[in-house]
Amino acid sequence: MDSKTPFLFALPFTLSAPAWAQSTPFQTPGMPAQTYGAQASGQTDMSQANRFSSVFNPAFSFVGDFIADYRSGGGEPVGWDMNLRSLEVMAQAWVDPTAWAYFVANSDGEALNVEEGAVHYTGLGGHSTIRAGKFFIDFGKQMQTHVHELRTIERPLALRVLLGEEVKGSGIEWDDWVAAGDSTAIRWSIGAFDNLLPETAADFDPTLAASPSILDRKSAGDMNFTARLTGFTDVGANGTLQFGGSARVIPSMQATFEPSGDQQLDLSNTVVGADLTYGWKSDTGVNAFTIGGEYLISTGDTGFSITDVGGDGDPTNDTIAVDSSTLHGWFAFADYALDQNNSFGVQYSTVELPDGLQTSAYEADVYFTHNFSEFQRIRLDLTRYDPDDADASFRAAIQYSFIVGAHGHGVNW
Amino acid sequence: MIPVQHNPKHTTTNMNTQLRHLSLVLALLVSSATTYAADKLKVVATIPDLADIVRQIGGDRVEVTTICKGLENAHLVTPKPSHLVAMSRADVLVQVGLSLETAFVPGLLEGAQNDKIQPGKPGFVNTSEGWQPLDVPKVLDRKFGDVHPQGNPHMNMSPKGGRQMAERVLAGLIAVDPGSKDGYETRFAEYSKKLEEAEKRWSEMEKPWAGRKVIVYHKEYDYLIEACGLKLVGSIEPKPGSAPTASSLAELIDMVKREKDVTIFTAPWSNNQAVARIVDESGSKVVELPNMCGGIPGTESWIGMMDLVHQRLSKVFGSGQAR
Repeated sequence: MDSKTPFLFALPFTLSAPAWAQSTPFQTPGMPAQTYGAQASGQTDMSQANRFSSVFNPAFSFVGDFIADYRSGGGEPVGWDMNLRSLEVMAQAWVDPTAWAYFVANSDGEALNVEEGAVHYTGLGGHSTIRAGKFFIDFGKQMQTHVHELRTIERPLALRVLLGEEVKGSGIEWDDWVAAGDSTAIRWSIGAFDNLLPETAADFDPTLAASPSILDRKSAGDMNFTARLTGFTDVGANGTLQFGGSARVIPSMQATFEPSGDQQLDLSNTVVGADLTYGWKSDTGVNAFTIGGEYLISTGDTGFSITDVGGDGDPTNDTIAVDSSTLHGWFAFADYALDQNNSFGVQYSTVELPDGLQTSAYEADVYFTHNFSEFQRIRLDLTRYDPDDADASFRAAIQYSFIVGAHGHGVNW
Repeated sequence: MIPVQHNPKHTTTNMNTQLRHLSLVLALLVSSATTYAADKLKVVATIPDLADIVRQIGGDRVEVTTICKGLENAHLVTPKPSHLVAMSRADVLVQVGLSLETAFVPGLLEGAQNDKIQPGKPGFVNTSEGWQPLDVPKVLDRKFGDVHPQGNPHMNMSPKGGRQMAERVLAGLIAVDPGSKDGYETRFAEYSKKLEEAEKRWSEMEKPWAGRKVIVYHKEYDYLIEACGLKLVGSIEPKPGSAPTASSLAELIDMVKREKDVTIFTAPWSNNQAVARIVDESGSKVVELPNMCGGIPGTESWIGMMDLVHQRLSKVFGSGQAR
């Protein structure tokens, strides 16, 4: 090889270097190039927006929520686990001067589900808004919230048991508020939905338990409904008090046990709740505390169990036993912000379980949250779950969440 | 001379008529005063500095509600129900802009659904319009912290900020209420005179400060520092909006020791353990300055606040003639 050979080898790379330098800030051999694409300046050369124009694209954001935890006791699988609990993608933009729309898709690393997709119509005047599409129900202060936005890692036990971990439905909701004096606002919402049963948990086994369902086609009176009335008012210069009442009504549902084909028809369930929250901030706004809670009552057909007919263990002749007892549950919490980055708190919840045996369960959380910034957070949460009919279990979890882009969900007050 | 006959009946009738007229005039006065009060322009000002300036120019014609309190960090304000109600009834919203109030203005505008104060409408007054901001990022990326795309928003802490805000407030009030233009202009002229006197006073006081080294907790005194000829050598927040870490504090303390004679500017909300640690380890002086009107006695007005700022800095850096 003569002395010019290395130069000849290097020539093509040298010639292409300027282009690479623009598209790939750093790349190791064998790795794909990162391409950022050309600037959009050429798109409007003819001064007309066209099908390739991106200037009216919605604002996109995504949120990552990771959990590493250790569980012990309670007869459940014990040990360490790490998982991506949710990767949320969101887009939102104005449709026209009277409406804005958004969607939220969520993945646990495997399937991608559309959690919400709705339009807010604001053209009615006053403070009225009509929301139509698929969205979380307006019940209390936590059911409208996505899990990564909660104070604790999970929703309070009473909500999970009586309403479901997440309740969303396709429907339409009217939302309005009025001022009562100079420092109080009263807000209400009424919604009608196709189906407000919580989505079946991933570990639900239809061969072991009855699964509730709602007919796709039904009369108007059998639609599912929500309603909420809430008021919030200034308390002195630094405090805000909020109180509210909520209801979720499922007038008609059925339960099916797959192995035997047994069905229970004309079932119904109504959950009502009353919530109270007080928030206080110091004069500098650096320190803050929030206390609150909610009391829930579930009436109608509140639970299902399987009766082993003949005691033979054969599920093909088993029947569904419907529990129609009224169930109660509540939760309360206290949260203190040490400064703008650090806060800690406790939460306690108890609920009567829908097992027809009048047993209850209790859950207590202690947590510490550190916000690196408003876009990145880490949380340590210790949870003790103690049902009457089983041993207590313990969970120590670290939750890490981040937000990229403009983020915010519909109603948050 | 024609003799006047005293007629008691006539006198009584006359008195009755006069009383009727008086009551009518009083009723009209009360009625017009009530109407006038009811017709007052309802103004929501995001920070107390703007509230003061709106009152100075609007006089009795305006009724002002303020969202931020004087000791708060405007980036972290949580709106209250009364703010939502005030926004829903407002004829005018006056904000600084430059994303200073991004924590609460967009949410309140969305919740209040008051068409009169939406961006683009005469009732939406953005007082940073036409301002030459500092720190406009060349690259927009969260890598650089809580950056403000339009530049540093703390223009209320510039000695020149009062005039800028007053001019925009005047234009905004006239746009919404042109019938009261003369009154607004008269009061603006009076306020402008006060500003002129204050600006001269401050300018004298600032003369010996040139080149003195300063660090800040949050970059909310950049305009003040620039206007006074001070030299900003660092900030306790490693990036805007990010809390200091152990390593960032250690680096800053080393730098402060090397630079020598560095003064720390902190706001009431940020005068915390990190500031105390730097003072302990470097022996630096710390000056707590207001970051908005109303939080500290004597800062109820914007001019009063800027006077207090200059008095406190004079104690550290010395002063020109005016005190």
